[in-house]
Amino acid sequence: MKIQTARQWMVTHEWMIKPMAQTEWIVGKGVLVWLAEVFSALGTGLYIASLFFFKSAPLTAFWGLVFGWIMIAVFKLPLHLAFLGKPWRFWRAFPPFSNAWRTSWFSRGIVFTMIFLVLAAVQMVLQGLIAYNAVSEGGAHWGGVYASNWVFMIIAGIFCALTGIYCGFAMSYCKSVPFWNTGLLPIVFLIMGIADGLALLMGVGLVTGEGVIPPAESATRIILIINALLILVYLVNANYQSTVAELSVKELIVGKLAWVFWLGIVIFGIVIPFVVSVASYFTGEEASAGLLVFAIVCHTIGAFSLKYGVLKVGIYRPLLPKGTAY
Amino acid sequence: MRWGMVINLAKCTRCHACVAACRIEHFLPLRVTWPRLIALEVEDEFAVDVSTWPVRCNQCKEAPCVEVCPTNASYKREDGIVAIDSNKCFGCRYCVIACPYQNRTYVSRKRAVNYFPGYPLTRFEKKGRELYPHQVGTTEKCNFCMERIDAGLAKGLKPGIDREATPACVNICQPRALTFGDLDDPNSNVSKLIRERNGFVLHPEYGTEPSVYYIDYRLGGAPSNKAPREAQTGHHIQHLSTVYEPMKEKLAKKHFD
Repeated sequence: MKIQTARQWMVTHEWMIKPMAQTEWIVGKGVLVWLAEVFSALGTGLYIASLFFFKSAPLTAFWGLVFGWIMIAVFKLPLHLAFLGKPWRFWRAFPPFSNAWRTSWFSRGIVFTMIFLVLAAVQMVLQGLIAYNAVSEGGAHWGGVYASNWVFMIIAGIFCALTGIYCGFAMSYCKSVPFWNTGLLPIVFLIMGIADGLALLMGVGLVTGEGVIPPAESATRIILIINALLILVYLVNANYQSTVAELSVKELIVGKLAWVFWLGIVIFGIVIPFVVSVASYFTGEEASAGLLVFAIVCHTIGAFSLKYGVLKVGIYRPLLPKGTAY
Repeated sequence: MRWGMVINLAKCTRCHACVAACRIEHFLPLRVTWPRLIALEVEDEFAVDVSTWPVRCNQCKEAPCVEVCPTNASYKREDGIVAIDSNKCFGCRYCVIACPYQNRTYVSRKRAVNYFPGYPLTRFEKKGRELYPHQVGTTEKCNFCMERIDAGLAKGLKPGIDREATPACVNICQPRALTFGDLDDPNSNVSKLIRERNGFVLHPEYGTEPSVYYIDYRLGGAPSNKAPREAQTGHHIQHLSTVYEPMKEKLAKKHFD
């Protein structure tokens, strides 16, 4: 069949016959979704990363938990609510007013977030008691506080991970957008969030001076490698998945959004933090404070770029395509 | 009972009467359109092929929009119609993105403007806001004129047969390209058309089981039918070709060769 660019008559809704990018969640007010998802990743990542230092660096862990919680409660939730057309109806997503959590990842996400915020608040108090020596080790209440902290840490940690991963599932559910329609997306988001969280935790460690940086840098090295591989696999997989997903990948790598991918995600998000962490590994010394701050800023730019890129190249599968190609 | 529609692509004359009828029936805001008409022309070395595709909400049996709705605002009625309770919708637009047929519209302030900006509302608009209020900040779509169906059934009328109980777009269609009826009834007009003319749905691979079927004289019921199997699966729509941007031409070529 001869290929020609078709002339169209009365193109009232060309997104139905051309692969067109989604705009609802990234253009105009949709920018709020992007920002909310970035803060979701940063907040949950910081919280999860902090949990691993609750014993070795209690003060850093405490402030990490606090900042992670704030990012979710003060930034992510209000931004999501601000995006809604009727924000004051947000309660309709909660059980018992709705049983949509059974099928809707959006509803599940709201439930996960609220449970996380409540449990994390309790856990932060317990961690604060430990961090500021309000209960002395070996004292009468020490064992109880410590055990409770463990319990709340595990449960809050699980809900934190669910809060961080749900938006990936919500997006991967959409068959209409083949680039998102893959099980790898939630994992990419979660792992990238944890890597960002570790970077932010190093920032907290710089202030508290508790010696968090060397172990956090070691973890960052590994997670960044995993993350780079995951992103690579995700893109290769999408490239083979369907023509529309292939278009998305091309748009991200060589298209108009190539700068977001190469500059934001690859260089700022992965390469620079990785080089800084590897340099400290070979020199055997901690990176200077200035260099660390630079790496943290780059990491955060990477977090913003990843979500922006993925949301922006979410291209709809056309309604009237060549049947088998899409 | 499951209400469904059959659209005969060969009969559609692209007159847009269905679009206008829906607009009048539901007092749709200026930039909101429930049923849509896609018309495109594709040419190869032999002929110019003009295709017109009336599209509207497919009222899917396994509707993704219902599954993703976080507030249960989108729900499925017993008669198969997917409806939206605007009083429950909080405008997250998840359904707009999740609908594989892209048939949902978010009513934003930009879309719900007056027909004559800067002038007072027309009598039509005033009446519309009274009879069929559209809430800014919520999502809307075609509902097979369920109010007409419900009112007609209450009077003992039969949707698809009696005009008063039939969707407005079906009533208005002059070339009778649209047929409405009960998909669960094997003797209904729609079931017969689907059976006899090899009705097919759009994107069956999604597994959403749409209630809107299409028939096409070339690939459906014509004696020279050469691709009944493809027609059933929707794969026949190869002739439409997807329209690529010039920059994507190389990619398009790869998939058409």
